[in-house]
Amino acid sequence: MMGLLPLIIWLIQDLLYLIVFPGLIVALILVIVLIYLERKIAAKVQMRFGPLYVSRKIGGALQSVADLLRFSFQEFIAPNGSDSLAFIMAPGLMFAFALMPLIFIPVGPYYSYLFPSALTILFSVALITVRPIYEIIVGWASDNKFSFIGSLREAFLVISYEIPMFLSVISMLIIYRTLNYMPAVAFQEAHLPGIILNPIAAIVFLIVAIRSTGRFPFDITEADSELVMGLFTEYTALFFGIGMATPYVELYVFSLIFSLLFLGGWSPLPYHATGLIAGLFLPGIVVIIKSFIVMTVLVFLRAVYPRYRVDQAIRAGWERIIYLSIIAVIISILEAMVIW
Amino acid sequence: MSERLYDISEVANIQPEGEREIELQVGPAHPGSGHMRLKVWVDGDIITKVDADIGFVHRTSEWLSERRQYIKAIPIVERIMLPDTVHANLAYVLALEKLLKIEPPPRANYLRTLAAELNRITSHLYGIGIFGIFLGSSTVYMWAFGDREPFIDLMEMLTGARITNSYIIPGGVRWDMPKGFRERAETTLQYMEKRLEDYNDIWAKNPVVEARTVNVGVVDKNRAIKLGVVGPNLRASGVDYDTRKASPYAAYKDIDFDVPKMDHGDAYDRLLIRIEEIRQSIRIIRQVLKDMPDGKIIADSIYSQLNPVMKKVYETDGWHRVMFPAFFNQIRPPPSESVARVEAGRGEIFFYLKSNGDKYPYRFRWVTPSFRNLPFLTDVAVGYRLADLPAIYGSVDYFPPEADR
Repeated sequence: MMGLLPLIIWLIQDLLYLIVFPGLIVALILVIVLIYLERKIAAKVQMRFGPLYVSRKIGGALQSVADLLRFSFQEFIAPNGSDSLAFIMAPGLMFAFALMPLIFIPVGPYYSYLFPSALTILFSVALITVRPIYEIIVGWASDNKFSFIGSLREAFLVISYEIPMFLSVISMLIIYRTLNYMPAVAFQEAHLPGIILNPIAAIVFLIVAIRSTGRFPFDITEADSELVMGLFTEYTALFFGIGMATPYVELYVFSLIFSLLFLGGWSPLPYHATGLIAGLFLPGIVVIIKSFIVMTVLVFLRAVYPRYRVDQAIRAGWERIIYLSIIAVIISILEAMVIW
Repeated sequence: MSERLYDISEVANIQPEGEREIELQVGPAHPGSGHMRLKVWVDGDIITKVDADIGFVHRTSEWLSERRQYIKAIPIVERIMLPDTVHANLAYVLALEKLLKIEPPPRANYLRTLAAELNRITSHLYGIGIFGIFLGSSTVYMWAFGDREPFIDLMEMLTGARITNSYIIPGGVRWDMPKGFRERAETTLQYMEKRLEDYNDIWAKNPVVEARTVNVGVVDKNRAIKLGVVGPNLRASGVDYDTRKASPYAAYKDIDFDVPKMDHGDAYDRLLIRIEEIRQSIRIIRQVLKDMPDGKIIADSIYSQLNPVMKKVYETDGWHRVMFPAFFNQIRPPPSESVARVEAGRGEIFFYLKSNGDKYPYRFRWVTPSFRNLPFLTDVAVGYRLADLPAIYGSVDYFPPEADR
């Protein structure tokens, strides 16, 4: 029988995991840093300065914070024809469901004490699929043709790219023979990182991550030269800010999953470690650094590629990516049969 | 009394059966339109009809010019075609010179060609940049607008102003080529040649760009002629027509250059042809700089009317400069009419001037290339997807203020 005090401490630690590290606050800080970095890197490629004038001494690093403040104090306007409940609720829920997979993503061995679950991969990947529903609701509730077309595009693309995502994850599950991140990381520690074991699955997962988070060249649902601002055409104020930040949060989630499944998790550090520092923070920082590198590479694509047309992206999903993911599954089966 | 079955507001929203189109207002406050509105009807994702609503930036240039002295129309026509000022200026001055029966000296002709080709490069870079942002490539947008800068600096060195240079005046040009211009121009041209390779890598050979533009907005030879399209868009459809070759003006008669031509007439060809034309412009500028004859930069008939102070200024430092003579304000061409054609960056400018011997033009009429390329937007986009609209619009390099005049 557990005592009451350890239970409370356990609950507080759970909450801190969700809210502070690696949950909401770290995610938001990373999003702010990432947006700044994205703009700075793109500016470097494009022969300009990027954000500069806010906090000039540190190279405009506070620009994203200034943007956040600006969004926070802007007036919120809901159009007359909009479905107001859905219009107000959907962005928040979208943001919440983009964050929620973090519950099931361990960033260190201490996690198994906080959330004893054996199905973390399954839950986290399943939760990722909830967010598009709210994107579609956003487009529908706005009462704007551009938003509506944006949400239709999102629906089409989600259907086209979800199966490859699951197949690429499944192909890793076949190798690791588990539905839990912890043994998966242990397996990679003992053998090889997943990206070497099955590079095709890694590529498919990255493409799906680019697609789901609306990075270039799949910036299709908010293609500004076609759909003004896509889903969030009618939004203002903090709601617009949420709409802008949500893809980045999801990018964070995808990158965490990628670094756990394909990059060996907190690999240079020992797999078994106890205590809050050695078991959560240090491995967590390693995982976050890895996923931050992945995020930076993905946002850099905007400097190179324009956007695909929606039908081309859908066709690529059904005609190329899905076969790639099936090949990834076959590779995994062969590896599982022959080698291990 | 029967009960009303529907709320009135609901009835208004019911569409008759078979009506499955959505009408979209692309513009005037839309990132994918210029200062214009495209009414687009889509069936699903396919465009069924496009109606271009132009005139948002109509600036009555003809009306204004008919109520001013002849010389004062130069800034007006320039401001209509901001990315392409020299050509507007040149076309108007050519028409005016025909009225006045002045012939510019050879050096002035070469200087005009030089300014026009520098301007063509900036104009094409402008078009490439806008096309880039329409397809979502912010890099090409920034690069193109950044690379306009050295050429605009050259223009500033040559003409004294960055954009609205009012460089060409009846009978010649205002300034001679300054010292050190040749070297700087050569540096800039070499830089641009290097940059064109970069544009090839990130823009013309980008797989996403190819996917977006190949076989999009196809206009074959006959249709292009039928639509009355001009300029690079016409040549991308395989029609070998360039006003610089068809009726040479300025110094183009003496210069050896090719008119690039494509076969397919899709958006990708229209993209490539602009890069090719920049190459040809570089070639022309090199020849102009090499072959430029010595001599006056203003026609003798005008030079002889300059007063002694002006003549002294003209000769100072061995660098010719025409002080703007006041009698330009009093130009009264004999009653006649004239026509001038100039190949601008976006196509052919057509100018018609009619004088009845008065201080002001009796009729001032010009047709700009963007106006002639308008059918591209209304005619060619039909049958393609909504997402192709920016690709078609961007590839045409349509500039609304120029079309509205």
